[in-house]
Amino acid sequence: MNSLITLPLLIPFFTAIILVFFAKNIPVQRWISTIGSISTIIAAVFLAITVYTDGIQTMNLGNWEAPFGITLVSDMTSILLVLTTSLIAFVCLLYSFRSIGKEREEFYYYPSFFFLVLGVNGAFTTGDIFNLFVFFEVMLMASYVLLVLGGTKIQLRETIKYLLVNIISSGLFVMGVAYLYSVVGTLNMAHISLRLHEMGQSGIVTVIAVLFLIVFGIKGALFPLYFWLPGAYYAPPAPVMAMFGALLTKVGIYSIARTYTLFFTQDVGYTHGLLEILAIFTIILGAIGAIAYSDVKKIIIYNIIVAVGVILFGVATFTPESLTGSVFYLIHDMIIKAALFLLIGIIIKVAGTSNLKEMGGLIHRYPGLGWTFFIAALALSGIPPLSGFMGKILIVRAGIDAGNYWGSGIVLLSSLFVLFSVMKIFINGFWGEAREYKQQEKVPVKWLLTAPVILTICAVLYGLGTEALYPIISTAAETLSNPEIYINAVLKE
Amino acid sequence: MSLLHLAIISPLILAIFIPFVHKTFPKIHTGWFLLPLPVLLFAYFLSFLSTTINGQTTMETLAWIPTLGINFTVRLDGLGLLFAMLITGIGALVVLYSIYYLSKEKEKLNQFYVYLLLFMGAMLGVVLSDNLIVLYAFWELTSFSSFLLIGYWNHRERSRYGAQKSMLITVFGGLSMLGGIILLYLMTGTFSISEAIVLADVIVNHELFTAALLCFLLGAFTKSAQFPFHIWLPDAMEAPTPVSAYLHSATMVKAGIYLVARLTPIFALSGLWIWLVAGIGILTLFWGSFNAVKHTDLKGILAYSTISQLGLIMSLLGLGAASLHYSTIDAGFYTVAVSAAVFHLLNHATFKGSLFMMVGIVDHETGTRDIRNLGGLMTIMPITFTIAIIGAFSMAGLPPFNGFLSKEMFFTGMLRAQEIGFFNMGTLGILFPIIAWVASVFTFIYSMIIVFKTFTGKFQPEKLKVKPHEAPLGLLISPVILVSLVVIIGLFPNLVAPLINTVMASILPGMEFDVHIYHWHGFNTELFMTIGVILAGILLYKFMPKWTGVYTRMPERFSFNSAYDNGLAAIQKGANRFTNAYMTNSIRTYLIYIFAFFIFTLGTTLIVKNAFTLDTSNVASIHAFEVVLVVIIAVGSISILFAKSRMTTIILLGAVGYSVSLFYAIFRAPDLALTQLVIETVSVALFLLVFYHLPKVSRHEETRQFKMGNAIISVGVGVVVTMIALSAHSGKAFDSISQYYIENTYKKAAGENMVNVILVDFRGFDTLFEIAVLAIAALGIFSLIKLRLTRGKEQ
Repeated sequence: MNSLITLPLLIPFFTAIILVFFAKNIPVQRWISTIGSISTIIAAVFLAITVYTDGIQTMNLGNWEAPFGITLVSDMTSILLVLTTSLIAFVCLLYSFRSIGKEREEFYYYPSFFFLVLGVNGAFTTGDIFNLFVFFEVMLMASYVLLVLGGTKIQLRETIKYLLVNIISSGLFVMGVAYLYSVVGTLNMAHISLRLHEMGQSGIVTVIAVLFLIVFGIKGALFPLYFWLPGAYYAPPAPVMAMFGALLTKVGIYSIARTYTLFFTQDVGYTHGLLEILAIFTIILGAIGAIAYSDVKKIIIYNIIVAVGVILFGVATFTPESLTGSVFYLIHDMIIKAALFLLIGIIIKVAGTSNLKEMGGLIHRYPGLGWTFFIAALALSGIPPLSGFMGKILIVRAGIDAGNYWGSGIVLLSSLFVLFSVMKIFINGFWGEAREYKQQEKVPVKWLLTAPVILTICAVLYGLGTEALYPIISTAAETLSNPEIYINAVLKE
Repeated sequence: MSLLHLAIISPLILAIFIPFVHKTFPKIHTGWFLLPLPVLLFAYFLSFLSTTINGQTTMETLAWIPTLGINFTVRLDGLGLLFAMLITGIGALVVLYSIYYLSKEKEKLNQFYVYLLLFMGAMLGVVLSDNLIVLYAFWELTSFSSFLLIGYWNHRERSRYGAQKSMLITVFGGLSMLGGIILLYLMTGTFSISEAIVLADVIVNHELFTAALLCFLLGAFTKSAQFPFHIWLPDAMEAPTPVSAYLHSATMVKAGIYLVARLTPIFALSGLWIWLVAGIGILTLFWGSFNAVKHTDLKGILAYSTISQLGLIMSLLGLGAASLHYSTIDAGFYTVAVSAAVFHLLNHATFKGSLFMMVGIVDHETGTRDIRNLGGLMTIMPITFTIAIIGAFSMAGLPPFNGFLSKEMFFTGMLRAQEIGFFNMGTLGILFPIIAWVASVFTFIYSMIIVFKTFTGKFQPEKLKVKPHEAPLGLLISPVILVSLVVIIGLFPNLVAPLINTVMASILPGMEFDVHIYHWHGFNTELFMTIGVILAGILLYKFMPKWTGVYTRMPERFSFNSAYDNGLAAIQKGANRFTNAYMTNSIRTYLIYIFAFFIFTLGTTLIVKNAFTLDTSNVASIHAFEVVLVVIIAVGSISILFAKSRMTTIILLGAVGYSVSLFYAIFRAPDLALTQLVIETVSVALFLLVFYHLPKVSRHEETRQFKMGNAIISVGVGVVVTMIALSAHSGKAFDSISQYYIENTYKKAAGENMVNVILVDFRGFDTLFEIAVLAIAALGIFSLIKLRLTRGKEQ
């Protein structure tokens, strides 16, 4: 029992509540937000250290023994994601201070922001499948608010689509939980895992597994369920885009990774085979989308989809090595996507357009922006020694080792398309003759740039420090590949 | 960290300081601050020469990711040393040259030198790393520094084009090589080259062997601009000339050759390796030299010439690899190809480097590189002319320069190809000397073009932008040093023979070599071939206008270049069309995708897994009023689809909702029934209130087809959901945990209503956050009503 585990949830929760009362006082809101965000990071760091030294931490809420109450579980995967989320949230918050605008700040931008963090951290931490649904709802509701906040035409249009798709997926989620409950008679994730392992292979469980794949696939932007994403992510302002791009799909991916390692491991040939095929198609279609447009937002948005495929390909391969690769890649992708979205936010701000055909020569005026983007782009493409490399190489190696040559080849080759798509931004947006822009004055970007610079530095260190990270991340993957560790930690007799 | 590591990293470290130095000392050309480094490094590597020649290799390891077998291991043997000396030696000359070439007022020198240093460090890393992952990291760094250098004058469209092209092709190769590295790891369990070499015999029959071989070769061929990947190199000439001399002729493009040489001990046991390396090499040799002749831009000619010469070295390495198939005694017969390769590698760096610098001088002093505008510069620029003539004659293979010697050895190597008694070499091997000879004729021709079209003939000052004069001393030093080497090596080739021996020992381990290079071999086939080249070359050069028509006969649109251009454009356009086609922006389409997928996968799974079960053993009997309720719900739901006004829709929805709550009542869940009733009442009332203010429903009639499609999907979803529900119910495998709640609601939670206790105690956490969800929704709706940013404000 460790109540530290609740802090990454409760701090954002109470911060959000307090913020509601200071809606009109922007400086106070900013201070509270900063304090709340930093405290969340500190709590997550402490929790991470505890998990690393003492193993999985659990907490039975209301002291109802597992599996009867709700249990929060913090294993390495979970706490790493919570930590990354908290860090990204802090950085996006810094960026928001200078860019989101007074109107949105007065209308509950910050509370909604913290509710989103609460939902995401909760989803990563909970050990109860129905509670996962609840945190999905918290996260989604906050994301609806953030998406529509401001009420511009494009926001309204895209929110309604986003809302509909997600309500349907939530409905399917509840159905899935109900079916699963009917079969195994429990909601605690460790307990479900235990009972499913006792059961062995069963047709209906496989069907439920596929249903969960569809539910989480919709959130996680898996082929052919991601169609809602490019439109929805296109609409909001940059920091919200960064939060969405870095965090929301990752919750879906995490849920697939969790359920497909903890629950549905009885018919791997079928369930994981299906996941593998879908992951490969996700990569292909994402890569095609990424090179299809000359709009910087769309380019990065389609790159989210590519990464979803890469990570899930590793999950589908389902070996300790591939899972290590997936966790490596997952965290890398969260950091680098947040950085890239913030960067293109600045690019659009200084260029006054998101269309590459109307840009050019930005590097002459904004060298810092240009080089940060360049490094972030290389990290995204998995160029060593930056952050994307290790995860990719582990995923590919495990894939080949498992005999999946085609899939591994596609993962490898996708890097080229990713690189092409982001370098297009560098070559056409930053290089070339400077264009006449609406703003003749140089837009001050120093403060805005701090946020993506912090993240890019994280990405560089993440790659260089692989040796230090490896034991941590392989611990995470070990828990994923050995459900017994998780089960024992939760249901310790 | 050893001194060797420091030597590799030092350019990267210096690169960090260059921008500060540039800012602090704007009056001094930044190049001067750089120059000492490559000179020092050259001296440092030179100090290894004697020990390395004696057969010692130096190895130092710096742990990076030891857990995964990735360490920054530096291994300095003959091959690595030769390259390291080329990189630092030519590097020093190029930096010196660039100081006079690039103006400190006009150019962004800080950027230029940062890129150049990045490249230098990366290239040293490539040739000295024993660990393949580290090698790959440096390999990509060379690609990107090359990308930045080609795009140095990025306001030019051609520069951006060339930079992108080189990046795409070389990074593609790099990724392929990474694939090869992973495959090799799976076979050998190591990333270390020297450890993998030991296992070469073991892995040759591995199922992944051929795939790994192909992956590595793709990497090598793209980097070294081998046919048909050569197309990036001519466009890389958009870089400033010092860069072309350094990266795109002397060093980076030889990384592929380095890789082939380095991996020969691992892969040469395969006939495929020999065939591919030799075959692609000889093809590149021919194609490069054949195409060089048609160009009028001096740098264009040199680019194709470089392609061709790289092919020459590649083909030699391929044929030389055959010697690993023989016992030591017979092998000597083929090792001559390898010694020719190493020797020519060195020679090429000297003469091609000087030629590039010469072209840079001509460009710098006349303002053009187009041979149609040049001519008669011999008297105006005598020193430059001398450089040109030595460099070009050496390239053409004329005595007494070093190019002659390696060309002769090259012919020997090619002639022996047909003696290789396996892999069909006996029959097809005869092609090697023939193609080599033809290619050499073209090499001779373009070498002559470079010299004579530039320096002899009519002087055309009216076509030049500036008044030409001899270059300043600073520009001349570097090429003069290089041509001196051309002459010295040409006259005393055995000065470098020990080095060649050592390098060969790295490529063909376990063999003894004793290379001696002679000018005079007697009247043998090689000599006659050279004489033939000269005669045929002079003839063809004299009658050039008569036959250059062949070049226009090859339509541009069938060239590899246009294949790349059109391919890239087509891919992007196709991707755009394809993506736009399925991304309709319509939520209806997206839902159709989602539900169709839902039906398909779940339906298939149900069937394939034979998962549908119906177990009625534990089911209550159905009463008449339940049937009535179901009918009401069904009729109500279906009628909603046909409702014409909002009012009707709401009332029908309400009816369905109330009927559902009756079900709760029947199934003994009075709390739920009450809740549902309240919700229905409130929502119907609210809807009615709100809808009063809305305009009339405008429902345009959809097509029949559309409706049918939707109907099928709806029914399908319903059927699948029902089937899964029935199966899930029938598939109960365990007792539910609810028994615990029944037992403990009062005992432990002190509540009398179990549902309430579950909601507020057992699962109070859920409820807390469900309430939070409502609060968030309230905030959202409030803001949605109050805050409406217009488009203008948004900007």
